[in-house]
Amino acid sequence: MHNFNWLRLNAWGKRGSVLAALLLLGVTAYRPAEALPLFARQTGEACAACHTVYPELTHFGRMFKLNGYQLDNGRDIEMTNDEGKSVLSLPAVPNLALFIMADYVQFKKALPDSQIPGAQSQTGNVDFPYQVSLLYGGKIAPHFGAFAQITYSNGADTFNIDNTDFRFANTIVLPNKQPLVYGVSINNNPSVEDPYNTTPAFGFPYLPPATFIPSLAAPIVEAGQAYQAAGPIGYILWNEQLYVAAGFYREARTGSSSPGNPITGNFGPIDSTTGAVLEGNNAYWRVAYEYDVGRYALMVGTYGLQFKLYPGNGLALSGATDNYTDTAFDFQFQSIGENNSATLKGTYVKENQALNASSAVGAANPHDWLSYETVDLTYWYRRKLGFDVGFVNIHGSTDPTLYPSAPTQCIAGGGGTCGANLGTPGVGGVYNVGVTNSANSNPTTDAGIFEISYVPWLNVKFTLQYTHYTKFNGASSNYDGVGRNASDNDTTFLYLWFAM
Amino acid sequence: MNTKQRMILATVATAALSFLSSSAVLAQDAAAALSGPQPNAPVSADWAEKKAVTTCQWCHGPAGHSQNPVYPALAGQKAWYIVEQLHAFRDRTRGDPYARGMMWGMAAQLTDNQIVALADYFSKQTPFTSSPAPFLPFQGSKIAAGVQAGKGIYNDGIAATGVPPCAACHQAAAEGSDQFPRLAGQHASYLTKQLIALHNGTREQAVMNGIAAPLKADDMTAVSLYLESLH
Repeated sequence: MHNFNWLRLNAWGKRGSVLAALLLLGVTAYRPAEALPLFARQTGEACAACHTVYPELTHFGRMFKLNGYQLDNGRDIEMTNDEGKSVLSLPAVPNLALFIMADYVQFKKALPDSQIPGAQSQTGNVDFPYQVSLLYGGKIAPHFGAFAQITYSNGADTFNIDNTDFRFANTIVLPNKQPLVYGVSINNNPSVEDPYNTTPAFGFPYLPPATFIPSLAAPIVEAGQAYQAAGPIGYILWNEQLYVAAGFYREARTGSSSPGNPITGNFGPIDSTTGAVLEGNNAYWRVAYEYDVGRYALMVGTYGLQFKLYPGNGLALSGATDNYTDTAFDFQFQSIGENNSATLKGTYVKENQALNASSAVGAANPHDWLSYETVDLTYWYRRKLGFDVGFVNIHGSTDPTLYPSAPTQCIAGGGGTCGANLGTPGVGGVYNVGVTNSANSNPTTDAGIFEISYVPWLNVKFTLQYTHYTKFNGASSNYDGVGRNASDNDTTFLYLWFAM
Repeated sequence: MNTKQRMILATVATAALSFLSSSAVLAQDAAAALSGPQPNAPVSADWAEKKAVTTCQWCHGPAGHSQNPVYPALAGQKAWYIVEQLHAFRDRTRGDPYARGMMWGMAAQLTDNQIVALADYFSKQTPFTSSPAPFLPFQGSKIAAGVQAGKGIYNDGIAATGVPPCAACHQAAAEGSDQFPRLAGQHASYLTKQLIALHNGTREQAVMNGIAAPLKADDMTAVSLYLESLH
């Protein structure tokens, strides 16, 4: 499963110099993942034990995850020392799985051609495959488990590291006979360790179209540093009810988002040639309380992080940093029956940005803020036919330098200057392409997402998704100053998913 | 076909056969690795309690007091019955949907001694008495009517279709015996689901398959509601 949100790009995405790279990254790197036949192989449990329908976890699934992916249905390869103490207990069959997705994406209004004035791109796009992921998960040794994913993306034409969670967990029985789980997850994406579906890594919206138009901003906890950070997150779970986790992340770059170190010719140490670099240890925390009664499970929680980033990209990795403080509140209510399952969940994130480094070089306001909220209702009939309706709203402060009003791409056909003729396309031979900018320098984006899914087998899924934008990058109509309306970006997304 | 070609063909055939037979051996090894109990080491009561608290409880609740009506309460169930069922899960001979989907996997690695220890632990817990879960479709008068109808079936059977009184085996208060499991206080929705499985044969049990065969859906619901109401 993947952390993604196609409504977001991290805060660095507003810079013209890196926008193109991030657009590419947004399309190629942020890929989702779904259910895991490998766990079914190891545990002997049907998907429905752990999931309503993947990726949403049931109480049982949450327990399995927090206990370190330990349940084991096969006979292990065992080795003991002379004292009879186990030194190896390895599942006899590797817990592997593969999934493959293909999709078709269509925007309501075609994008302008990037080179030829007046021409258009195709409206629809087939991705075959959209994604191929190889997953390993489950028990490595008693108390040690893993979930690791590498994903092929068609845009990059290569395999990339995806969500990876190495975990130690143990349970003690308290004197009052209540269980207390304690553990540590070392992972590469804030909230990958979390057992609920309201946090970014496995939250709604689950799956972005392979091709999408990125909006300007989202809080950094929403995948802002996914696969570019790693760290240990310690946690406890008291009596299957109270979950508390805290830890920190450090810079841990993967893939093409860094040119590496030109002196060593190796991937590191990272220097000013890389953008958006984490400084030191950066805190992440989470508290959630779950109340289960009958078939119902209610969770209320809060989570957040405090990340310090050097802008890099030509600026030294020292001195002032841009500081992001995210505070989130979330809830999840599940009613899980055999014929009817419904889940209502929501998240509200508030991000305060103290952009000390960027503002010093005139690239942003000293202070900005963002808010991000999602709420969605999912219904499954017999885990075969599913409906999901949800909303994603991003609001934030106006910042003319962080979110320049000028289009980031234009066609200078007659010797004019790019960006000078905002709102007057074609004049002076300059054609503003627009689409990804915000004419009023505001990141507000509001969307409604509607999904219908059919799951003929628990590992085969067909989904039709429609995203309707009421606002995009700050406005409903002519948001880019070149005449594009928010609803022009409405997206139809049909995908097939096979897990094996 | 000349001699050389024949020799090549023979070599290829031998290699193919040898590959196939080694694959078959590998497949057998894999099958052996995936089934069968572990060595039957002695098991303590403490082990059983820890397993119950740290794993069984996820679904069956603290000390076998299941909070979720999908999963049966185990507290106070007859030990022999729990042993029999865990063996049936491990041997994959109990075939109702949740047995397949959940308990086949959960029981796969249990040894005979572990099964006995778990059964002993749950049988000694204070018997569970379910209360109807909130928001269920059976509310108020519907539950009361079901309980009343179920009481009749439980004590007197259904003469018209030859269904014998349940009480004849499961005892007057459904507390079970050395031969019949405890039913009192169990979640109604779990009992109904089992009656359906016994009725349609997905769960094989010679005596109950016959008894459940003529039961109608309303009968199953009613007798389940009555059993849930027994405290």
